[in-house]
Amino acid sequence: MTTTDPIDSGSVGPDSTAAGAAGADPLDTGATVAAALDPLGADPLGGGVPTGAPLGVDPLGADPLGLGAMEYGGNGRPCASYTLRVNGFERPVTDAWIGESLLYVLRERLGLAGAKDGCEQGECGACSVLVDGQLVAGCLVPAALASDSEIATVEGLSAGGAASDVQQALADSGAVQCGYCTPGLAMAVHDLLQRNHRPSEIEARQALCGNLCRCTGYRGVLAAVQAVADARGAEEEVAEEEAAAPSEASVAAEPEGAATELPAESVPVEVPGADGGLAQVTSTQPMPVQPDPAQSAIAQSGIAQPGFQPGIAQPVADLPAQTGELPVYADAEAWVEADPWVEADPWVEADPWVEAEVQYPVEPTTVGSGTGIDYGTTTTHQTGVYEPYPGYTATPAHGTPYDPGYEAQPSYQAPYDASYDTAYGQSHYEAAPAHGTAMDGPLYENAPAHGTPYVPAPAHGTPFAEGAPVYEGYDGSTPAHGIREDDHA
Amino acid sequence: MGLRPRPEAAGCFSRPEKIRGRVRQFDEQVEHGGILVNRTIMLPASVDEAVEALAVTPGAVPVAGATDLMEAVNAGRLRPAALVGLGRITELRGWRYEDGGTAVLGAGLTHARMDRPDFAALIPALADAARTAGPPQVRNVGTLGGNIATAASAGDTLPVLTVLEATATLAGAGGTREVPISHLLTGLDPLRPGELLTWVRVPLLHAPQVFLKATNRSGPARAAASVALVLDPARRAVRCAVGAVAPVPLRPLEAEAWVAGCIDWDARGAEGVVPIDPAAAAAFGEYVAAACIPDGALVAGPEGAGAVAVRLRRTVSVLARRALGRALK
Repeated sequence: MTTTDPIDSGSVGPDSTAAGAAGADPLDTGATVAAALDPLGADPLGGGVPTGAPLGVDPLGADPLGLGAMEYGGNGRPCASYTLRVNGFERPVTDAWIGESLLYVLRERLGLAGAKDGCEQGECGACSVLVDGQLVAGCLVPAALASDSEIATVEGLSAGGAASDVQQALADSGAVQCGYCTPGLAMAVHDLLQRNHRPSEIEARQALCGNLCRCTGYRGVLAAVQAVADARGAEEEVAEEEAAAPSEASVAAEPEGAATELPAESVPVEVPGADGGLAQVTSTQPMPVQPDPAQSAIAQSGIAQPGFQPGIAQPVADLPAQTGELPVYADAEAWVEADPWVEADPWVEADPWVEAEVQYPVEPTTVGSGTGIDYGTTTTHQTGVYEPYPGYTATPAHGTPYDPGYEAQPSYQAPYDASYDTAYGQSHYEAAPAHGTAMDGPLYENAPAHGTPYVPAPAHGTPFAEGAPVYEGYDGSTPAHGIREDDHA
Repeated sequence: MGLRPRPEAAGCFSRPEKIRGRVRQFDEQVEHGGILVNRTIMLPASVDEAVEALAVTPGAVPVAGATDLMEAVNAGRLRPAALVGLGRITELRGWRYEDGGTAVLGAGLTHARMDRPDFAALIPALADAARTAGPPQVRNVGTLGGNIATAASAGDTLPVLTVLEATATLAGAGGTREVPISHLLTGLDPLRPGELLTWVRVPLLHAPQVFLKATNRSGPARAAASVALVLDPARRAVRCAVGAVAPVPLRPLEAEAWVAGCIDWDARGAEGVVPIDPAAAAAFGEYVAAACIPDGALVAGPEGAGAVAVRLRRTVSVLARRALGRALK
C-alpha cells in the first residue's frame, strides 16, 4: 500500500478539475486485490499512485501481463462501453464509469426517466425495473454487468403511448397521488401478475412490500392488482370462447391447449417492437400478457365483459373498509415467523412490543357530548380499520337528538357516578344541543339563562360534596404504569 | 462475491459526473489465456475463468448480486477499479448433494431461490432467513455467497450458516481450500487475494431448525436481532447463534451446553409432552441474551445506550426462548 489515498488525492473530488490530477486512480498491483478481497483487510479502495501521474502511464513501469493500463475515461475513472438492450432496443453506452448504476444510465445517459431515483439503497423500490424478467432495484445493478441482459422499464409497459392495463388500473383506483412511486409500483404489479395470475391479497402485499408509497396507503394499489387480474381473467375467457368457436379443422390443426396451457403469462414476454417495444403483439399471438389494446379498453370500461365487477376499479375512498383485512405485515415478527405452527404454539405469547391489540375496557361517553370520535373502538395495528369493542353499541353521533331510551340499552353504562353532578346542581345528563339549536324543551329547563353569572367549579383540592368517592391511596394491588407483569428483564 | 464496504472511506465523492473527456475506443478486448478480457468489465462463464480474471486484473472486484456493493458505490464508499461479474457462472446458481448428508450450495444461489419450497424442505432455517432478507427486488439478485463475503453484521443467512457449521470452498489461483464459515467471518482465516467463494457446504440435519428475526419496523428490514437454533438429537446437543447484535454471529456455547442438559431427549416428539420446563426455556433465553450483550453495555451512557441495550437484551431473550420452544415442539 502506498501512502497516498487516491480518493483523497482527488481525481474525482469536487475541487479537482485539472486533467493532470486525473491519473490518481486505484491502479495498483496485487495489494489492491488483497484489500478488495479481504473482508477484514485494509483499505479496499487500494493504494494509489502519487498524485499527478500522467494519464495513461503505467505507474508500475512494467506490465507483466502485457495487458496495458486499464481503460480510463476522460476524467480518469475506469470506464467501459457496452450496449444495453432496453425494451427491445439496442442502446449503446459509451465511456461510462463502471460504477454507474443501471438507474443512472437509464435516466442520465439513455433518457429513460421512468424509473425514479428514491433512495439509492434498494429500500424504496421506485427504481424497479426488470432485468432478464426479474424484478430488481435499478439502483443496485451495475449497468455494465447488465449489458447482456434484457432490460424492461416502465416505458416498455405501454404500447404506443397509451397506458397499459396495469397503469390504467393504478390511475383508476386512486393509487397515484404524487406519482413518484408509481413507475416502480407499475413494474412490480406487472411482474406480480406475470408470475401469478390470481394473486390473493396477502400475495399481492408481499410482492409489493419492496415499494414504498407515502401518499396513498397501498389500498388503491391492491385494488388495481385485483382489477387487472379480473380484467385479464375475463379477457382470457373471451379468448377461449373465441378459440373454441371456429371449425373443428382449425382446432385440430392448432391444439386447443396451445392457447390456454402455454405459459405465456408466466414467462416474461419481450417482443422487440419497432416503436413501442411491446407494440408488436398482434392478435394472432395468444399472449394475454399484452392484450390487444382495443380489447383491453373494452375490458377496462366494463362493457359486455362477463365476470367484470364494476366496483373493483372504483376509487379506493369509495370502497368499504373491510374489517380484519390483512396488513402488509401485521407486525414484523409475524412476518418473520410465518410458519404453520404459530397457531398452536404454546410458546407464543403476546408480542411485548405490540400493544395496540390490547382492548381496554373503554366506557361509552356521554350522549352527544363527545367530540365525535368513537371512543368505543380500538384500532387494529397498522390497518386503520376500526373494530368495535365487543358488545358495545355505538354512541349517537354528535348533534343527534337525545334519545331517552338510550340508557335502557343493555350495553349502556352510566359513564360515572351521577351523584357527582349534585355538586354542580344537576342531577342527570343532557345532550348538548347541536350548534345553532335553540335552547328550548323540557330537557333544558334547568339550564341557566343567558346572562346568568357563572358559578365557578371549586378550586382544585377542594373536598367533594358527600357521596363522592374518596381516594384512599394506592394499595399496591395493581401494577404501576409502564411495568408489564411478564417483564423479567 | 462482494466487497465489504468500509465506512472510513465514506464521503469521498458524491455522484458520477458526466463524461467530459475525449471519446476513446473502449470496446477493445484482449485475448488472455483463452478468455476475452475487457479490462474493466469481465463476465467469466466458469469458476476457472473467474479466478483467472481476478488473478490477471489488479483491483478487480467480484460482483454477484451487487446489492451491497452498489449501495456502497452509490454512497461513495467504494470505487471499484474493475468488475468481475459472476452472473454468468451458472454452475454456482444451484446446489448439489454429496455423500454423507451434505448439501453443497452454490455461492450464486439467490435469496429468492432459497425461498422456494424445494429448498425450504432441505434447509428450512436458511429458507426462513432468505425470505426475510429484504424486498423481492433485493432477494431476486442477492446471493448467498455475497452475503458471506460482504459479512455485514445484519446478514440474515450468517447466523444460520454459523449454527449449521457450514464450510466455504474458496477457489484461488493456487487451488481450492475449505474454510469453516465461522473462521471466514471472524477473520481467523479470511479470504486471500484473488480468491473466490464458490461453494458452501452445509450438513443436512434431519432435526428441527429455527430462524427468528426481530426488526425495527414492519415489512422487510434490517434485523435488530436474529436467532438461529438447531437441535442435534444424535449428539443430544443444541446449537444457537445470535446475529445482528455484534459484527459477527455469536455462539453462546455455555448456554447451549446448559440447556442441552435440561431437555428430556427421550420424550421429545412424543404426543403431548413438553420436553423442557418452560422456566428452563425462559432461563435459556436470559442466558443467551446475557452472553451476547455484556453487562457493560447496560450501563446508561450519555446517549441512553443503556436503555437500548436493555431492550436488545430482552429481544434476544425472547427470540431465543421462542426458538427453543419451536424447535422442541
